[in-house]
Amino acid sequence: MAKQHVAATINGDAVEFLCETHQTLLDVLRDELGLTGTKEGCGTGDCGACSVTIDGRLVCSCLVLGVEAKGKSIQTIEGMAAGAELHPLQRKFLEHAGLQCGICTPGILIAARSLLERNPDPTEEEIRLWLAGNLCRCTGYNKIVDAVLDAAREMRRK
Amino acid sequence: MPDTITPGEKKLRVVGTRPVRPDGVPKVTGLARFGADYSLPGMLWGKILRSPHAHARIRSIDTSQALALPGVKAVMTAADLPEQKFEYVGPERTAANFWHMTRGIMAREKVLFEGHAVAAVAAISKMVADEALRLIKVDYEVLPHVIDVEQAMQPDAPLLFEDMITRGVEPAPDKPSNISKRIEFKIGDIEAGFAAADKIVENTYRTKPVHQGYIEPQACLARFDADGQAELWASSQGHFVIRALTSRLVGMEVGNLRVYPAEIGGGFGGKNVPYVEPVALVLSRKSGHPVKIVLSRDEVFRACGPAAGSVMTVKIGITKDGKIVAADGVFTFQAGAFPTSPVMNACMCGFTPYDIANVRSVGYDVVSNRPKTAAYRAPGSPISAYAVESTMDMAAASIGMDPLQFRLKNVAKPGTQTVWGPKHTHEGFAETIRALMQNPAYSTPLGKNQGRGVAVGYWFNNGGESSANVHVNEDGTVLVATGSSDLSGTRASMALMAAETLGIDYDKVRAIVADTGSIGFCGISAGSRTTFATGIAVVQACRKVIDELRARAAMIWDAKVEDVVWEDGCAKRAGKGPGEVETLPIKAIAAKRTVTGGPISAEVSVNAGGVAPGFAAEFCDVEVDPETGAVKVLRFVAAQDVGRAIHPALVEGQIQGGVAQGIGWALNEEYIYDDAGRLANPGFLDYRIPVASDLPKIEAVLVEVPNPNHPFGAKGVGEANIVPSLAAVSNAVSRAIGRRMTELPMSPPKVLRALDPQRGS
Amino acid sequence: MSEAPARVVFTSDFSDRYTGGVKEFEIEAKNLRGVIKALDELCPGLGEHLEEETTVAIDGEVQDVGYYQAIRPGCEIFFIPKIEGG
Repeated sequence: MAKQHVAATINGDAVEFLCETHQTLLDVLRDELGLTGTKEGCGTGDCGACSVTIDGRLVCSCLVLGVEAKGKSIQTIEGMAAGAELHPLQRKFLEHAGLQCGICTPGILIAARSLLERNPDPTEEEIRLWLAGNLCRCTGYNKIVDAVLDAAREMRRK
Repeated sequence: MPDTITPGEKKLRVVGTRPVRPDGVPKVTGLARFGADYSLPGMLWGKILRSPHAHARIRSIDTSQALALPGVKAVMTAADLPEQKFEYVGPERTAANFWHMTRGIMAREKVLFEGHAVAAVAAISKMVADEALRLIKVDYEVLPHVIDVEQAMQPDAPLLFEDMITRGVEPAPDKPSNISKRIEFKIGDIEAGFAAADKIVENTYRTKPVHQGYIEPQACLARFDADGQAELWASSQGHFVIRALTSRLVGMEVGNLRVYPAEIGGGFGGKNVPYVEPVALVLSRKSGHPVKIVLSRDEVFRACGPAAGSVMTVKIGITKDGKIVAADGVFTFQAGAFPTSPVMNACMCGFTPYDIANVRSVGYDVVSNRPKTAAYRAPGSPISAYAVESTMDMAAASIGMDPLQFRLKNVAKPGTQTVWGPKHTHEGFAETIRALMQNPAYSTPLGKNQGRGVAVGYWFNNGGESSANVHVNEDGTVLVATGSSDLSGTRASMALMAAETLGIDYDKVRAIVADTGSIGFCGISAGSRTTFATGIAVVQACRKVIDELRARAAMIWDAKVEDVVWEDGCAKRAGKGPGEVETLPIKAIAAKRTVTGGPISAEVSVNAGGVAPGFAAEFCDVEVDPETGAVKVLRFVAAQDVGRAIHPALVEGQIQGGVAQGIGWALNEEYIYDDAGRLANPGFLDYRIPVASDLPKIEAVLVEVPNPNHPFGAKGVGEANIVPSLAAVSNAVSRAIGRRMTELPMSPPKVLRALDPQRGS
Repeated sequence: MSEAPARVVFTSDFSDRYTGGVKEFEIEAKNLRGVIKALDELCPGLGEHLEEETTVAIDGEVQDVGYYQAIRPGCEIFFIPKIEGG
């Protein structure tokens, strides 16, 4: 079967790509478009390392087909910083050492930003429940929670 | 031997601060490249065919149809890897029998576990590679299998190796079995010791195998050129060791293989050894193209080395005022398909936190049809600590003594003999227990269905071979290159130690991880050795650079080098007037490097000794729901002697991460097999590691009793924190429900059954 | 003036395999190279096993086996199995 032609917006830019019908959005981002910031940890939607947003909705890109991106606006970790200026979440993760190996970090940052867009003043419990779909094996989540709380605080001040 | 800085003697400028790590921005922007993130033009995708059977003889493999499929460029089987001699070379306790290791990479006569690699293909796309795998025909003679360690020891158990005679037993058994080895350590006279005890407590414990749970599956990109030179981009815990093992497995000279360290997405011991690298190299050699292999999560669980399951019995004798007079432990570990689980570590660590005159530890290493165990954070020690610390909890409770007081009363000190021979030489155990006792949370009152569990634990830590290169750039900034794979921020620690030694700012130092072609040999980043051993190499290299900088300054001043000192990042000498000091900052000297002799750099390689062990003391508060059996962790405080925290935030993170893994090990994680020996839960949905909403804030208490053998007093921190955590949780649950839990994981059905033994499963 | 020899100890596992069960030796030497050489003369082939398979604790301080390590009179030398970590 011939590849499908898909036109979408990724991190604000118009993008076109070809993909097999069975390829996931994760495969497309990583293998076709060279955007390797989104990671595969499990391929079955359990670990959240592949988190992206589609039209503002947080999803696991391993559970979305590449062809489903047609006409949609996708945000990945590569678009999180505004040019050279890091997003407050990115800065706070660095300040609080909210990462160790860093493989889960892109997914967690995307998920955390999604949370703060909906709930600018989350409690610790709300943060933990929201991030329950993003597995981290290194940190025990302590410093991740600290970083999200601090970023939320800074973003509320703006 | 390196010089030391005595605490209080000199205030440290940067060591002990919390700057952003040099690899931080790439990791929060998605630019950092992990093992699966590399590509080369003309690259092929490699995929591995795996056994569907837990135990079977391979009668034949027919790859012809796969090779004929358009788009397939190479196919391999074990025939493409050289046979290896059967001998246990080097350290007995680690997997250095290449006859086993090559069969672990790809099966030869038999498949020994479901998921065992049998063949591999390289093709132009993942889809074609998958299709090619389906076209490979393997003729199996299915054999009976055995997985559980106790079943594997039964006299009529199916044998993995028909010629396996248990080592370490005199006289040697005349029949083969699955018990690869028996080991024993003892001091004193345990019979006399138990005879003199007022109370004896004894119990038997069982744990299930668990996985390290790194979120990044194994991945690599290999390129094997026609002249026999090869390159590998791989994420691992040590690219030099990966180079050594892979080159031998593939049958090439070490010098012909260059390994570039990708960023690594979690290791915890599981990435000390190769899995995909030899396969990718052979496929690249056969196809003439670069080959990339990325394992799926399913493959990681089915085929990559986990931690052992176990059955253990521990017996402790105490006097009525709480002195331990005898201790005896039998630890039986499941090694997986090939010998050598970390049962020897378990025997050596379990009782070592204590001063006991009469101790015996016996270990059995048993093979069974699952992947060979790999290291997992203080390998072996958390498992034996679970059994020992549970029994210690019983002993303390039997005389109504506070469990931390009980530990303190019996804690090992310098001069205490270990069961494996040497006497303890480093301080820190008692201090760590006291720090925990003084923690305000330890006196938090407990409510209904709540319990507090206490445990301590020991880990050897490690030193060994490391290399560091320090180079002063033309503008006075400094490059620090080491060969130590950076799992969680050690580049920051190297930069801090270099900046401190040189007297310059942290952000004038760039720390990198150099590949095998760019620096001298460096051992694995495991065993909690990196900050210790590689730190020593970095500091020694900096000291050599300082000597060189002083010599250059002397030349610039036309002075004697003895009159030049190095302070605060500058060369200094007495000026013309009284009290005057002339200075030459590093930048100025670097600008004059050409006329004073050329580039300014030093490389140091060390074999670092004088390791101080790791020790942790922890308590955990839980609440048990008597209706569901669910256990909620209310609080967890972990105190660890870290020597000196070079970067306190990174050290805290290590402690929090190790504890989180221990909580998962204690409450939820286990491999579940079906009757055919196939793994039923090879994914994160059903292999349940702790998620953010499972855990409270984990409090890390950093105790600093410096190691005089490290220039800043650092002790290894990565591993000791997990050692007590299994028992801390188990002791908490046991106290909460008033019954001793003796099996891990303490999943809700198990807790319910402990609450009500009549209850059906 | 003769100096007290060093006391060299093996684990029972190692001694069963390589020294016919003898666990303790008294060796006079100035450095670890001398110790290994003396042991190799007593049990030919033992030297290589020591270098490849053991870590050493000299008066309790643990390090990789190295020729250059100084031995003071009367010190305790334990050869223990090599340690790895995770």
